[in-house]
Amino acid sequence: MNFSSNPLKLTMKLVRQRNSLFIITSAYFLVIHALPVLTGVFMGGLFDALSGSQTAALSPWAFLALGLATDVARIGLFIGGIRTWASYWMEITLHLRSSVLGYLLTAAGSRRLPDSPSESVTRFRDDVNDIGEYVENWVDFWGLAAYAVVALAIMLYVNAVMTLVACIPLVVMLFMSNVLRPYIRRARRRAREATSRVTDFLGETFGSVQAVQAAGGERAVLGRFESLNATRKGAALNDTLLTELFRSVSGNMVNVAMGIVLLMGASALRLGTFTVGDFALFVTLLPRLTYSMSFMGLMFVQHKRTSVAFERLGRLMVDAPVEELITPRELNLELREGRPYEHRTPQRRPLELLEVENLSYSHPDAAEGLAGVSFTVRRGEFVVVTGRIGSGKTTLLRVLLGMLPKSGGTVAWNGEEVTDPAAFFVPPRSAYTSQVPRLFSDSLRENVALGQQLTDAEIGHALDLAVLGPDVAAMRQGLETEVGARGVRLSGGQVQRAAAARMLLQDADLLVFDDISSALDVETERRLWDGLFSGGAVTCLVVSHRRAALERADRVIVLDEGRVVAQGSLLDVLPVMPELGPAAGTPPPAERAVRAGD
Amino acid sequence: MSTATAARRANPTNTKPLGLFGILVRYLAPQKWMALLMTALLLAATGLQVLVPQLLRRFIDGAMSSVPTGTLMNIALLFIGVALLTQVLNAAATYVAASVGWTATNLLRQDLTEHTLGLDMSFHNSRTSGEMIERIDGDVTSLSNFLSVFTVRVLGGVLLVIGVLIALWFENPLIGAALTAFAVVELVVLSLTRKAGVPASNLEREANAKLFGFIEERLQGLDDLRGNGAGAYTLHRFGNVMRTAYHDTRRAWMLRSVVWLSSYGLFVIGMAVTVGTSIYLVGQAAITVGAAYMTFQYLLMVHEPIEQITQQLQELQKAAAGMTRVGELFATRSALPPGGSASVPDGALGVRFDNVSFHYLDVDDSQLTLKNVSFELAPGDRLGLLGRTGSGKTTLTRLLFRLYDPSSGTVSLSGVDARDVDLNQLRSRIGLVTQDVQLFRGTVRDNLTFFDPGVSDQQILDVVHLMGLGDWLALQEQGLDTIIDSGGRNLSAGEAQLIAFARVFLKDPGLIVLDEPSSRLDPASERQLEVALERLLHGRTAIIIAHRLETVERVDRILVMGNGQVVESGSRAALAADPDSRYARLRAAALTLDMNVATAERGADILEELA
Repeated sequence: MNFSSNPLKLTMKLVRQRNSLFIITSAYFLVIHALPVLTGVFMGGLFDALSGSQTAALSPWAFLALGLATDVARIGLFIGGIRTWASYWMEITLHLRSSVLGYLLTAAGSRRLPDSPSESVTRFRDDVNDIGEYVENWVDFWGLAAYAVVALAIMLYVNAVMTLVACIPLVVMLFMSNVLRPYIRRARRRAREATSRVTDFLGETFGSVQAVQAAGGERAVLGRFESLNATRKGAALNDTLLTELFRSVSGNMVNVAMGIVLLMGASALRLGTFTVGDFALFVTLLPRLTYSMSFMGLMFVQHKRTSVAFERLGRLMVDAPVEELITPRELNLELREGRPYEHRTPQRRPLELLEVENLSYSHPDAAEGLAGVSFTVRRGEFVVVTGRIGSGKTTLLRVLLGMLPKSGGTVAWNGEEVTDPAAFFVPPRSAYTSQVPRLFSDSLRENVALGQQLTDAEIGHALDLAVLGPDVAAMRQGLETEVGARGVRLSGGQVQRAAAARMLLQDADLLVFDDISSALDVETERRLWDGLFSGGAVTCLVVSHRRAALERADRVIVLDEGRVVAQGSLLDVLPVMPELGPAAGTPPPAERAVRAGD
Repeated sequence: MSTATAARRANPTNTKPLGLFGILVRYLAPQKWMALLMTALLLAATGLQVLVPQLLRRFIDGAMSSVPTGTLMNIALLFIGVALLTQVLNAAATYVAASVGWTATNLLRQDLTEHTLGLDMSFHNSRTSGEMIERIDGDVTSLSNFLSVFTVRVLGGVLLVIGVLIALWFENPLIGAALTAFAVVELVVLSLTRKAGVPASNLEREANAKLFGFIEERLQGLDDLRGNGAGAYTLHRFGNVMRTAYHDTRRAWMLRSVVWLSSYGLFVIGMAVTVGTSIYLVGQAAITVGAAYMTFQYLLMVHEPIEQITQQLQELQKAAAGMTRVGELFATRSALPPGGSASVPDGALGVRFDNVSFHYLDVDDSQLTLKNVSFELAPGDRLGLLGRTGSGKTTLTRLLFRLYDPSSGTVSLSGVDARDVDLNQLRSRIGLVTQDVQLFRGTVRDNLTFFDPGVSDQQILDVVHLMGLGDWLALQEQGLDTIIDSGGRNLSAGEAQLIAFARVFLKDPGLIVLDEPSSRLDPASERQLEVALERLLHGRTAIIIAHRLETVERVDRILVMGNGQVVESGSRAALAADPDSRYARLRAAALTLDMNVATAERGADILEELA
């Protein structure tokens, strides 16, 4: 079984984990959906009784009371049903979400999102909802099917020919709905796209409003906005038109069916083979019968969408077996408070020697690859990786740490080969700061501690090392300052220094920095290195082209097009990197300098 | 442009915020005929809808008496015809309403964007672009929904309910009274329960926003988390977020189902009342069985629109709140007075600052000010601006564009006070290149011309080649139609910078302000830029915020800023020759420290230590 297996099988596996909840919810909705058959029967009885028919078994008042009782019962059932269903829906969807997130966060091997994080979030939201809705379909299915079968049976019993003829427009409607539906979906998608083009354009315009104003570009921007708006209006109206057409078709076919009942009933009423009560029965049962039938059509569509949803979630989880997604998971959602968190770290294996041999990486979508990179890092060394933009510096760190899958070569820690670098290169062995580090909407304390129980003094020390101490001292709420979504309330430099502090607090043997300098000025960066080395022996692997780092390096590794072109002390490597030396060399050929960035 | 724009321009002193009604009148007035058409369609559809149950009654009563079968069949055919026509009319009304709504709100969006783009930076600095999207599109879209859906549903619903009640009063006063009472009670009760449902919906929306916000942030920081071994901890935190979402969502669903259930409950009561009355009246032989059936149909017809009306009343509140915000936005005036009618001459511009002081209104940090800055720059000269971060270099250049006006003193260009110049003309004569290049999602062409269709492809291509982007463009299969991602993610930093150069070159300004790119570029890419830069600056006046001493080697004049004041200024040659000048000492210090590639900022630190 895999992600592209029959979605029904996958969903069944998912459903089976909460068998009792599924059965209880389905039972509720079986009765809720099927009860209206009785309403139809009682309405028929009422009008038969009212018209003085001989066949009426009870008085009109009795029929009215029965009808009302049916509805009251339905209301009562609904209250219980909605609560069970809400629990069930949340269990299913949260189960899927936490499985995917958990896999991405903790599973072995490298994790690379197939698309941007915000696109991935739509998978978490919409694709999971699609699967949830499919489960919902199955909850509703039994009741609606029961209704359709019983209603049809009653109508056939009353008047078989009339029932069959009245069903013709309903079948036509189902057919036409299925024809129209893809068009509507396309129109809706176009309208949504046109809308997001408008909002994206607004966002970009106001995100760079200073550039627009400085360029005197207001007129041109407005002209563009006008044309985007016009496109959006066209798309939205197209959507409205098709939706209305769809509504008219479904609304009208019920009316046509009712008209047919009237037409055929005209003579039957005369003959006495059809009564006013029968007419009321038909008219009451028909709309719901239509709904039940179109539900089956929609369910088929949902079945196909669910298949796509599973596949998209599978792509998000890359190499995971589908069981990762659907196997049971203890969520304990009913508990208000979760269990307290216990921070566990893997066993420390003090770094003596890190050996990287022939490390390679290639990927069709990646601008930079690696070709046979070898180097070593010894305890207490400061090793700098440098090279031009696009030379593979960031890729090297990411492949080494297992964030990208290597295509060849070995990495050994104290002489022992590391088989799953992603799981191995974590504190207390190593810690990492990415090129554009992220903070999370939480307090500064949560952001740097990452779940560790730390004293203020420990945190304060790390903040001082990261040259963030004075900044935090100036914040009114100090460590409890909320940093905002993605850390927006801090400046770019503060985010980088907070990320450095977060890494330092991991108390790891090997510190890996990816170009921390881009948002730090030279002086701050110098203070950071000074602080780091005053504390004793640390081992650092750093991407940088700043002199502050290069001069301190025990070893400099120069990369170009994914290869090591020189390795040694700064003086050793200077000849191959003229642009970093004191004397300006000849500029490199333009096509090498102007390359895809990293 | 639009009538509405013209209306606004003709009345520039109106600063009283417009409410929902004011905005409706202003933007709907041009479409009164369409609005009239929609109303006519709705009236016709309503009339037909009220007719349908009457047909059913005729049919039933006819069947029970001795009306010929042919007549009954005619009634049946008429029933089908009327039902079909009603649907068509309703669909047409909805379409016309949507069209009116979109036309009006697009005009509103356009005017609002135009107005907001004209506001000064002190307005924009305190607002994120997400907030602007919400205020321009979000608020207006709530009006659009209101216009297209509300009008049809509510207007149509009200008409239908009134029509049905009239028909019933004519049929039998007792039934008319019963259904009228039911309609009133249902309207009131549903409005109240709906209001109770609002906090529930907010609760659910908030819980969802937190859930997906958590996921998005963690996906963005996946490497940071995994690299620091925080996977298990993050999952533990997600558990808490999930539990909150679970309880809040379930509560929200329960609360929201109250609305639906009370509507259902009311319908059951309505049925008890009307059907009970009908049974009684049939027993009294006051009405026929057909009329009883008709009453039941009318009950169904009244129930649905009342549900719609109460639902749409909430939309009305949303639209009204949105429109209040729109009105406020329109009433916001730019802190910058509009420019005068003077113009700055063609060719390289002269620049003069006379005793210019400035402070940001919205920033209380007093360090970010300019104090009595005076200097003069001849047309064609290049000025190197040195100083530490926060010394006022960037602020100084912002005054040139009139992104802000000085608090005192004057900024003049070729002898004309910047405040007297037409703002568009002023900005068209000055080019700005910043470190972070602002690129739109759009074609290379759009990014270069800022959507100006007046620039020919040949002009663009010439500039692209001149700026050294020819080789890059040749690699792009779509040429000038190549799409650049928002933020220029598919470009290297060097390429993005060259695009910014080409953009400014196309504008052909007389003065260029350059915030020199530095830290993000590797040294090799920087050299590549220098060739292009020389071409860009040729024959123009330039003010360069320098981060590298090398750059300053080629300027004519130097201005060193410190704490918002000019601490040194003069010709570069003279300052270099005077061994006591800060600039000369900076160069000397840089040389002894072997800091040829160190930044000028660092140099400025040394300067202060030397001073």
